[in-house]
Amino acid sequence: MRHPESRTILSLKTLFSITTGADRLLFLVLSTISILGIFFMRVLLPEGKTVHIDVNGSTAYVLPLEKDRTISVAGPRGNTMVEIFGRRVRIVDSPCPGKLCVKQGWIQKGSLVCLPNSVTVLVEGSDTSPEEIDAITR
Amino acid sequence: MQLRDRKRIALLAAFALGIHSIESLVPTPIPWLRLGFANIITLVTLILYGLYPAVMVTLIRVVLGSLFAGTFLGPGFLLSLGGGVASILSMGIIFMTFPRLFSAVGLSIIGAMTHNIGQLIIAYFFFVQRIEALLLIAPLIVLLGTLTGTFNGFVSELLVRNLQKSGQTIQNVT
Repeated sequence: MRHPESRTILSLKTLFSITTGADRLLFLVLSTISILGIFFMRVLLPEGKTVHIDVNGSTAYVLPLEKDRTISVAGPRGNTMVEIFGRRVRIVDSPCPGKLCVKQGWIQKGSLVCLPNSVTVLVEGSDTSPEEIDAITR
Repeated sequence: MQLRDRKRIALLAAFALGIHSIESLVPTPIPWLRLGFANIITLVTLILYGLYPAVMVTLIRVVLGSLFAGTFLGPGFLLSLGGGVASILSMGIIFMTFPRLFSAVGLSIIGAMTHNIGQLIIAYFFFVQRIEALLLIAPLIVLLGTLTGTFNGFVSELLVRNLQKSGQTIQNVT
């Protein structure tokens, strides 16, 4: 170094002191938004899941999970009301004694079953990612 | 004066090009992650010598850098050009309009952001037409850009301060 007086002692304090308030604000805002964004972008974006509704083992409806609607599914005992709302599914009402399917409430994945009326509601991802498969036997 | 400016631009562009080329040889954990050390030279040029030399340094670096790497007029070149131009213009405009608001650290973060946004826009129009895929990756790009931008900003700020304190110009350093 030809100019020893120009040497800056590097410490976190020095580094912090050379930033302006606007620098710090910008850094905080961007890092917060991006970290939150990493977590929320997956939730906000549609993943292309479908709702399969089976009656007596055969597929009666295939509906996108993104579109809110309520449909009436005709089963052997009467109509089972299935509601899709806000990327979730539930059985609103079913002509069965125990109403176990109604008590299951809202689901985002997995299935709802009303055995007495033979209605099965299954949420399936259109892309089968490896972590959704527990095991494969041959 | 005119000749001195040109020599200065040539020298600074050579620095930027050298850093850019060495950096492209260093493997990073994520393929498209670039540390953007060449931006240090661009930023120092902007603060010490103004917008025009900084734009020239960026253009020379992008064009010659892609010629050396063999990607001239290819997809990588388009991304690099769009990002580089967006970055220097935004940093320049902010620096000219509010000279005291941000230090080199803030300018560098802004430059990194607009570099990424420029690249994402070009990527959208030319390569990936799926907005969801880009939106999904955008927060990660912003985070990494903020971190590398902050680091480069500190280096630039310290470099500018030391150069100003010692009364040297980049030309005399060599």
